[in-house]
Amino acid sequence: MAQDTAVPKLSFQYWLNKAVEWGQTTTLESQQDVCLHLPKLQEFLQQIYESLKHMNSTTAIQRFPLIGQLLGRLCWNPFVVGYDESQKTLMWCLCCLYSKEPQNPVELKANSWILSLLCHLLSSSEWGANKVGTGTFISALGYTSADYYSKLVKNIVLSLVTELKGNQFNGLNIQGRVSDDHVNVVSLFCIPLITLPDVTPLLEALLTYHGGRSQEVLSSEFLEAVNETFLKKKIALSESAILSLWLRHLPSLEKATLHLFERLISSQTSSLEEVACIIKDSLLPKAACHPAIFRIVDEIFKNALLETGGAPEVMTIIQMFTRCFVQAHQKDNKQHKFPLKAYFPHQHQPLVIALLKHPFDLSATLWSQHLKYITDMLKAIIEDKSIRTYADLFESWFLFVHFGEWADIAAEQLLKSEDESSDTFLWLLAFYYSPHNDKEKRTQILVEARAVYDRLMMLFSCTTLSVTDLQAAASTKTDKRQPCTKHLVRHLLISFLLFSSGGHKIAQEFISHVILASNTTNEVFGLLIRTAYRFNQLGLKNQRAVKQVNELLQELRFTD
Amino acid sequence: METLLWQVEQLPGLLAVSRSGQVRDWDPPTLDRALQWGRYFQHLHGRFRAQPRLRAALGQRLRRGQPGPPLGFGHLGRCPELLGLALLGNRALPPAACHRLLRSLLLPPSGQATPGPCSLGLLARRRAAVQLLPPPPSSAPARPEELEPPLRTEAQLLLSRLQEDEEGQGPEGVLEKLPGPRVYRVLAALLLLEQAGDNAGREGASWAEHREGAGPAAAVLSWLLGDPGRLSAFCRLLPGSLLVALSARYPQLGTSYLRLLTSWGNRLRFDPLRGQWVSSRCLSEDELSWEELRERFRCFMRGPAQLREAALASLKNLKTQDGDFEVCGLSVWTDLLLEIALTRNLLSSSPHLLCLCQL
Repeated sequence: MAQDTAVPKLSFQYWLNKAVEWGQTTTLESQQDVCLHLPKLQEFLQQIYESLKHMNSTTAIQRFPLIGQLLGRLCWNPFVVGYDESQKTLMWCLCCLYSKEPQNPVELKANSWILSLLCHLLSSSEWGANKVGTGTFISALGYTSADYYSKLVKNIVLSLVTELKGNQFNGLNIQGRVSDDHVNVVSLFCIPLITLPDVTPLLEALLTYHGGRSQEVLSSEFLEAVNETFLKKKIALSESAILSLWLRHLPSLEKATLHLFERLISSQTSSLEEVACIIKDSLLPKAACHPAIFRIVDEIFKNALLETGGAPEVMTIIQMFTRCFVQAHQKDNKQHKFPLKAYFPHQHQPLVIALLKHPFDLSATLWSQHLKYITDMLKAIIEDKSIRTYADLFESWFLFVHFGEWADIAAEQLLKSEDESSDTFLWLLAFYYSPHNDKEKRTQILVEARAVYDRLMMLFSCTTLSVTDLQAAASTKTDKRQPCTKHLVRHLLISFLLFSSGGHKIAQEFISHVILASNTTNEVFGLLIRTAYRFNQLGLKNQRAVKQVNELLQELRFTD
Repeated sequence: METLLWQVEQLPGLLAVSRSGQVRDWDPPTLDRALQWGRYFQHLHGRFRAQPRLRAALGQRLRRGQPGPPLGFGHLGRCPELLGLALLGNRALPPAACHRLLRSLLLPPSGQATPGPCSLGLLARRRAAVQLLPPPPSSAPARPEELEPPLRTEAQLLLSRLQEDEEGQGPEGVLEKLPGPRVYRVLAALLLLEQAGDNAGREGASWAEHREGAGPAAAVLSWLLGDPGRLSAFCRLLPGSLLVALSARYPQLGTSYLRLLTSWGNRLRFDPLRGQWVSSRCLSEDELSWEELRERFRCFMRGPAQLREAALASLKNLKTQDGDFEVCGLSVWTDLLLEIALTRNLLSSSPHLLCLCQL
């Protein structure tokens, strides 16, 4: 009987009062109130059932003397009965209260009452108030109320959907048989039924319904409830219905974006392909083809970036989302598509166009050139004192973050190509990790980066290296380094380990020894999976660097 | 095989008992056995569904059972629900057995998170849904072809019941056992439904070329047309507009309906004192008043061209047979034609009176 204390008396009284209140009036407000409380009520009923299932009926009545009243009132409230799993819990509770050996007339009466309540719920005795003949007719055919109601619900949904669609012909709004108020009421009454599969066509018809007024016709509780259920994956809706939902109800869109974000941050994804999968699964990239939605989602990502101070994980998410979005946009064959650059209206258009070219769409020989082109434009924007404000600088940097794969390419080019443009690439990397307003700061970071790079390049062709050699190259004299510079240096080091002849031999050791010791597993992991993703997408398989990356990733996953 | 047939023959008896007072002697083990039988029958249904011969044999045996609603093979599949719900509603069941029934029917088996037979939970949910979802705002459908959900549901169930019947059975077995006037409304709904399904793939070919006797609609129609009393009750009960809609799709019905209207019309006598056509005795099932007759013909005038022409031709014919009078009061058909022509003249001269006349 340890379950006894699980249901405090206070909440029982609360719910009983609520049940009485709901039974007394049928105003719109009271019905909205019921809908608001349905999830909590279901939890409460579950708790009651957990307590009841270990008791016999007499003990149950002693423990919860008013339970008959509560259950009785709730069973007559179609909102409660229609919601999710509440009807099952109600019936289970009633079963627990039925006594198998009634000792006195009171118990007999209680049994009889329980049976009539169950018959009411299952319609096995009376068949609707005004349809006396229906029950006899259906029984004469040899069917049960189960068959009847299963078809009836589908038919009612069909007729409601026909009405809703009938109001809209060729996109025009004909004053049909349905008024906007009626639609509002229908949407409210659908709230408990959202997870009932028979009702899904009605949900879709409601979501794509546009009334005559400019205000929202559907009840906001309905829109919220549909969004919640969709995010929890308890219901499957068509893409156009979801798009319609997000377009007409801003809080739902925001919730959906934050939900995606949380999923990505909290799940232990081991590859960027998985991340892309989760992103596509959320339907947001496709929805973002609508510019209004793209703007909102972008804002949310921007805030996330600001709040986390430019965390590399967030930057990766933004890049993967942008990639999925661009792919969805290209697949979209609607006639009136916006061009991609229209999604970034306040930015320098040539820069946008340059950044929209993904490295995978260019041949590797053109990468250096393209990087220089991008960097020159960025430099021009940054250093043009006349129009530059802090906001502009931030916006340019945020734009670049969307397409941060180019920063990875820059790091790779620094180590692999014999180019004389190492200055350009270093500048770009420095900009990516620390877009400072202050020219002095920028120069200082560049100088440090340059120093590390030069030392690394000296070790580049050595075939035998030790961990200490590398550490020495990477360390600084003062040991007081900005965090952003540390990110940059780490990126250079990882690239060095992958692409130099001596580096790959000590890669494993270096990583476990030095990097893990400084508690930067996530960052290193992030850099490695980005590299792995890039190699996969480019179809590179047998190169030494590719194998190296996969081995390192294996090790890291193992030790996690 | 013989054991199987013998077992199946017990089902009607079992169902009858489950609804009767005989259950008051049941104890929990008896109840368990009954429920087990239910599950066993469902299992049989699943096994033999795809074997027509066995299905027919089992169906035949079922029909041999006690009087009551005639059962078919399909009932085997629905056995657990039929039994369970019947027992639940039976107040004669003693508490101990009832307790066992509740546990097996509604509660999840111990140790399992989701219960097996909680399709009953779904039933409760759907019933609540029906109470929640509001009916369409206009109480009468705009066109007679649009069926209200409850009527449509009954028609669908009747249709699937008829389709469940094995070959050569015919609808009489089922239809004759159905209660009174309601069956006609449901049949009308069924005929409308079936036609709607037909339209999908048959443009061009005439109705006569189609499936002879195949499909429940044809069987139902011949059942209706086969007995004049039945046809008369059918046409008497349903509104004229619905009958015209049906006649448009089922020409045999149209012909028979017109013939019926003729016989009803012939029973009217002119009362010179009152100056109107009245029925010779008080209105019974078989009689139609003048106003109703006129209204019914007016429905024909509002129908498709083919029916309009047929009705007009029929009326003209009858008028000729009666003596081709042009004066009122001598032949009911003359008077009808005059009324109709009057309406049509009004219609053609002032189209907005159309709405008035459709009242």
